[in-house]
Amino acid sequence: MRYLTSISSAVLLSVGAVAQAEDVTITVWSLDKENQPAMNLAREFSEMDNGITVDYRLIQFDDVVTESMRAFATGQAPDIIAVDNPEHALFAARGAFLDLTDRVAESEIINADAYFPGPLNSVTWNDRLYGVPKATNTIALYYNADAFEKAGLDADSPPETWAELVETARTLNNPEESVYGIAFSAKASEEGTFQFLPWAQMSGGGYDKINTDGAVEALNLWKTLLDEGLASPDTLTRGQWDSTGTFNSGNAAMAISGPWELNRMVEEAKFNWRVALLPVPEEGAQRASAMGDFNWAIFANTDHPDEAFQAIEYFASQDHRLFPEFGQLPARSDIELPPTGVAPKDAALQVFLEQLQYAQARGPHPEWPKISKSIQDAIQLALTGQMTAEDALNRAQTSIDAVLAD
Amino acid sequence: MRRIKSSIVDGVGFDLLLVGIPLVFLILFSGLPLLYNVLMSFQEVDLFSLGDVFRPFVGLDNYRALLAQPEFWPIMWNTVIFVTCSIGGQFLLGFALAVFFNTGFRGSTFIRGLFLVSWVMPGLVVGATWNWILAGDFGVLNYILDSLGLISKNIFWRSDIDYSLWAVVITNIWLGTAFNMILLSVGLAGIPKDLYEAASLDGATAFQQFWTITVPMMRSTTGAVICLGLIFTLQQFDLFAAITSGGPANSSNVAQYWAWELSFRQYDFARGAAISTIMIAFVMIASVFYVRSTRHEVRG
Repeated sequence: MRYLTSISSAVLLSVGAVAQAEDVTITVWSLDKENQPAMNLAREFSEMDNGITVDYRLIQFDDVVTESMRAFATGQAPDIIAVDNPEHALFAARGAFLDLTDRVAESEIINADAYFPGPLNSVTWNDRLYGVPKATNTIALYYNADAFEKAGLDADSPPETWAELVETARTLNNPEESVYGIAFSAKASEEGTFQFLPWAQMSGGGYDKINTDGAVEALNLWKTLLDEGLASPDTLTRGQWDSTGTFNSGNAAMAISGPWELNRMVEEAKFNWRVALLPVPEEGAQRASAMGDFNWAIFANTDHPDEAFQAIEYFASQDHRLFPEFGQLPARSDIELPPTGVAPKDAALQVFLEQLQYAQARGPHPEWPKISKSIQDAIQLALTGQMTAEDALNRAQTSIDAVLAD
Repeated sequence: MRRIKSSIVDGVGFDLLLVGIPLVFLILFSGLPLLYNVLMSFQEVDLFSLGDVFRPFVGLDNYRALLAQPEFWPIMWNTVIFVTCSIGGQFLLGFALAVFFNTGFRGSTFIRGLFLVSWVMPGLVVGATWNWILAGDFGVLNYILDSLGLISKNIFWRSDIDYSLWAVVITNIWLGTAFNMILLSVGLAGIPKDLYEAASLDGATAFQQFWTITVPMMRSTTGAVICLGLIFTLQQFDLFAAITSGGPANSSNVAQYWAWELSFRQYDFARGAAISTIMIAFVMIASVFYVRSTRHEVRG
């Protein structure tokens, strides 16, 4: 009797194993919560009748890189991961991500040409594609139209050049009523680099050429904003979300931030606000802006590359839902965003879409965190008056050169 | 067999067992990570070799690279300022409060208990609360100082390089005072009352009693409190993360926060480990003093 039981359970087990073999389970790690795209799309894909089950794991923003590196080093990496775009090259350059170039070329759903150049550049390493952009964002200039009119400025012509921006900030600045001219973030974190790099880029610099005259001028301009009290000294330690919070409460007349602010601003800001493109060094100069958000990638040691790519294809096929359902911007130019019915938001969206065309990736470089740190240090040293903008940026250039030479 | 058993139930074996369990626990969860950290500080580590134990050995290269960084000495100096001022403030305030509550007025034990609330709160919560108090434009502290006529312009506690470290020091003093007070209260309670009675019969003033009885009798407690304070202060990480993130321009950066920044922000685990190792050395020295100052507490 005992033998019989063990035999029958062995049979049952092997039958179970056969049934399992048809059903592939892939793991997806992302930082998206319930009301954000990845979690929902992963569930939908899992529930489809395609023999693929998705095991979704939510990871915190701060842990994405360390968690996945640790998992990769110990052979427990997920099949698919959503990674912040400046950190994409860190993985791609080390062969941790699967080369998707051929799969994308054959895909009927994903068309590389449809993506904005910035996001596409961030998933590219040595001319090969190592991922697919998940969503995108950028920064532009928010301004309080009521404050403009009150100060005798034309709300229909926001500042277009750097000089005009400073001049406008001076006019709008009103210490008696605790109103700063402008709010932005120069925090010593990725946010500081995110905000500063576009200024360097539109004046002919870049992450690899950070000590150009234009970048020095930009940093001096930031210093002017702080020294003259046109922006709060807390700009040095406050992130974009908190800085823009002061704009929403009417304590700053302009703010530089991204589309992630829109929903909160619609609710909180009790005044007419609008969005303009980031001002440029002088009229006719080239535009630039920061590029944020995450990319999809497949780990190189996955057992199910085809199924994983199929999942990413499904995610990409739902890009048209990103904005209406989740408030995120697709990284593609071939998707029409339907109006939301909230006038200031719709108007802002058009500006952000235009700004996106000028958005540039940070890097890509496998040592991005170190490059970024050098830029943050330069910003902070100059703004706290410990070094001139020129010396600070020269110092940053020296350490960036050392990283690039490695 | 039986002898072993009886020894475990009642004898030397029982003692060894009692000592053994925490010892194994300590070695597993403190000793090994500590050694691993020291080992890592002599290796070349990157994100992809995180899972290995044996990595390329680079000798003192990580330490040399650290010393060559321009922020090394300023950060070490900040650490010294942070530790001394935090401990000094916590100890003096804690001692004053302990003596005050030791007078035994009505409700003193109850109020003393309430003071412990600050110590019970998680560092991040304390940090977030003090963030509002210290805020530049609309902070309560600036409002109070302004109302008292002490300042004419708002102090940007978190963003001014001259104040940022002090913002964390003030918060840390607030956080640690209650703990110092409780330990010192215990010490005070242990001083025999007849000493004071004899002294007052001899006509000693309260001030003389304090200097000639309280202070000398509190010596070992003081040593222990300060050593513990040193260890806790060197561990203080949450407040930096919550209040200044070490900024602006590293003006409030200290060794423990820098170690984390290097490891988990720039993914330079080897240098992060090197700083931790330097700190381990300091804490070891403090521990020696701590053990010595508490040694004669063991009686019987």
